[in-house]
Amino acid sequence: MKKALYMSLVLVLMVSVISACSSKNNNETKPSAIASESESASASASASESASPSEVKADTPPQKVELKVFMSFPRFKDQFESYFAQFKAKELAGKNIDVTIKLEMPNPDQAKQILQTRLASNDAPDVFTLHAIADIPTYYKAGYLSDLSDQPFVPKVYESVRKTVTYDGKVVALPLESLSWGYLYNKKIFADLGITPPQTIDEMNAAIDKINAAKIKPFMLAFQESWIPQLMMALSLGGTVSSAHPDWIEKMNKGEASYKDVASVFDIIDLIMANGTSKPFEVGNEAGSTDFANGKAAMWVQGPWQAETILKVNPNMEFGVAPLPVSNDPAGAMINLATSTSLAVSPTSKNKEVALDLVNYVLDDKDSAPLFETLKFNPVATMHTYETFPWITEASSYVAKGKAYLDLSLPNGVTDETAKLLQSYYAKTVSKEEIIKTLDKTWAKAIKTQQ
Amino acid sequence: MQWTKKRKQTITLLAFVFPALLFYAVFMLAPAFGGIGYSLTDWNGLNPTYHWVGFANYTEALTDDPYFIKSIWFTLRFVAFMVVLQNALALLLAVFVESRGRSKVWFRTIFFMPNMISMIIGGFMWLFIFTKVLSYIAEHSGFGFLDQSWIGDPDFSFYAIIIVSLWGGVGFLMVIYIAAIQGVPQPLKEAAAIDGANTFQTFRNITLPMIYPALTIGIFLTLNSSFKAFDAVYALTGGGPGRATQVIALNIFEEAFSFNSRYGYASAKAMILFLIVFLITIVQLRFMKNREVEA
Repeated sequence: MKKALYMSLVLVLMVSVISACSSKNNNETKPSAIASESESASASASASESASPSEVKADTPPQKVELKVFMSFPRFKDQFESYFAQFKAKELAGKNIDVTIKLEMPNPDQAKQILQTRLASNDAPDVFTLHAIADIPTYYKAGYLSDLSDQPFVPKVYESVRKTVTYDGKVVALPLESLSWGYLYNKKIFADLGITPPQTIDEMNAAIDKINAAKIKPFMLAFQESWIPQLMMALSLGGTVSSAHPDWIEKMNKGEASYKDVASVFDIIDLIMANGTSKPFEVGNEAGSTDFANGKAAMWVQGPWQAETILKVNPNMEFGVAPLPVSNDPAGAMINLATSTSLAVSPTSKNKEVALDLVNYVLDDKDSAPLFETLKFNPVATMHTYETFPWITEASSYVAKGKAYLDLSLPNGVTDETAKLLQSYYAKTVSKEEIIKTLDKTWAKAIKTQQ
Repeated sequence: MQWTKKRKQTITLLAFVFPALLFYAVFMLAPAFGGIGYSLTDWNGLNPTYHWVGFANYTEALTDDPYFIKSIWFTLRFVAFMVVLQNALALLLAVFVESRGRSKVWFRTIFFMPNMISMIIGGFMWLFIFTKVLSYIAEHSGFGFLDQSWIGDPDFSFYAIIIVSLWGGVGFLMVIYIAAIQGVPQPLKEAAAIDGANTFQTFRNITLPMIYPALTIGIFLTLNSSFKAFDAVYALTGGGPGRATQVIALNIFEEAFSFNSRYGYASAKAMILFLIVFLITIVQLRFMKNREVEA
């Protein structure tokens, strides 16, 4: 008891430190959400549900169940609240269970720390969101995820997406946000100059020459936040490994490979850095979006999650998503398929049945498609048959041709290290050889600490 | 009788400090001791279980972590610059402000103002100045040398951080020094003037020794705050490009909350930082206390 109190005090302090200095997360969509009003959310939720139960059933009093739901989506508060209201009506009508949902939606920057504090102090929410690539391995090993493999939603999820939430042979989360991304290009500039998205490095060189000749900068560089330069490595390594070295990750985990084997990943990175806008360390994510939307550069290695910000600056902006060429083999140019936010169920949940019902309801045959459509999420399962944005359609067309790979599962810390090193690489404070050496070392260390 | 009175007094005093003491104990002491405990484990902030690893974290930090060592050297360089510049500037400003007549209040307020802005916000303001304003000035005037990559070039970003930290910190020290200068007894100065001392001699031989206690405090404060520097660096460069401007606090922060979330290891580094600050300030206080004089 004493220890628990003690630990929670320490954690409270840590959380307060985090809230003071918001952390940056990689690979994830960066919503411009403000601090959530979770209290008012749960208050209004409980207000709306107290009205409904009395009118439905009369004979047996409904069983009362409270679910704690934790989501890092303050920007979608309204959507999820109304969806959960539908769920409550369904449970009451179908199973005679009166569900009270306590919905908590903290700021995405802090959500991870708050959740980890909860989990570590035995106060796990029944249902919570997590990042599929970054969090599943650690959370699974710590025993905070339920096995969902036999749930009815599983067969409905697309094969390619299902793989991203499968760990150790088990489906451990329900994918919410899935991404298919490459780099962004300005369709107008490409059309004016008669360029189509290049598939090899030689074609890319030709395209760069044409764009330079038109006095336009080929690449937008926004390196102030280190997760953006990191995206170049994600795509280039992903394409190289998936097309030419399929067993590289496995060998790396065993300590039998090195970044030297895939040193060609730097070819395209060098090309981008040499043909980019100037002073990249002074351009952040928002400023980069503004510049890109205003046509200051023709291409930007950045994902379609940036669409909202870009369109806010220039609603008429037409951009496309294309796979980044990594070598002279067109097979290496591939779209990255990844899943970010996913929904998991805590194994310690007291009302696991209802929690599982809720998770399954998110991919309900009838109600799921409208939800995903209003959230502007990509389709993840068979019932999602709505119209998508043009750039998503474009990315999906590459996926349909098989020009796609599943986001590589690198050990924790390697991605962050890569991000830092690429910044230094541009500043010319480290050489290619040093990057290779450091990444090899970081990888080995990460494998060691994970065991 | 005497004894009970004294005891009563002690109890009253304790009762008065109790609320503050309680919060201090719960939110400062307990986590600090907890941190010592965690620094001996391999806890990752998430696992319900962890192992005791003894001093392995400390040995790793000091022998096998080039970034940490590099951040220590960077911080030491930062501290050296800050202690000298911040105190010298604050003293200069204090003397200058004291020499003004009625405009004294205005100058004091203006120089103190940056101290009232959070350094994170100040950092973002300066980020705008460094990236947008300076290059604009360079473009529209002859000052071409201003057009540098103040944030992106490690050589310049060090000075950018120094400038912002000075801007934020000088005002506070200046107020301390003003108070000290006002406390210098007038007769001493008059006597010196009668003896034919000029302004500089008066300052060097009368004012400076008399404000020595304030200098002790000023240097103590700057040592302390610049070792723990975080917000200005975080807002300006984020330690970047790469790790070129990473201070110790930022290194610890990243170790704990990104990368491998090694809370135990990060706690060990925090303890090392604490020991460094502790040792240096103890030495400094000892050294300077011995040289203080009284009127």
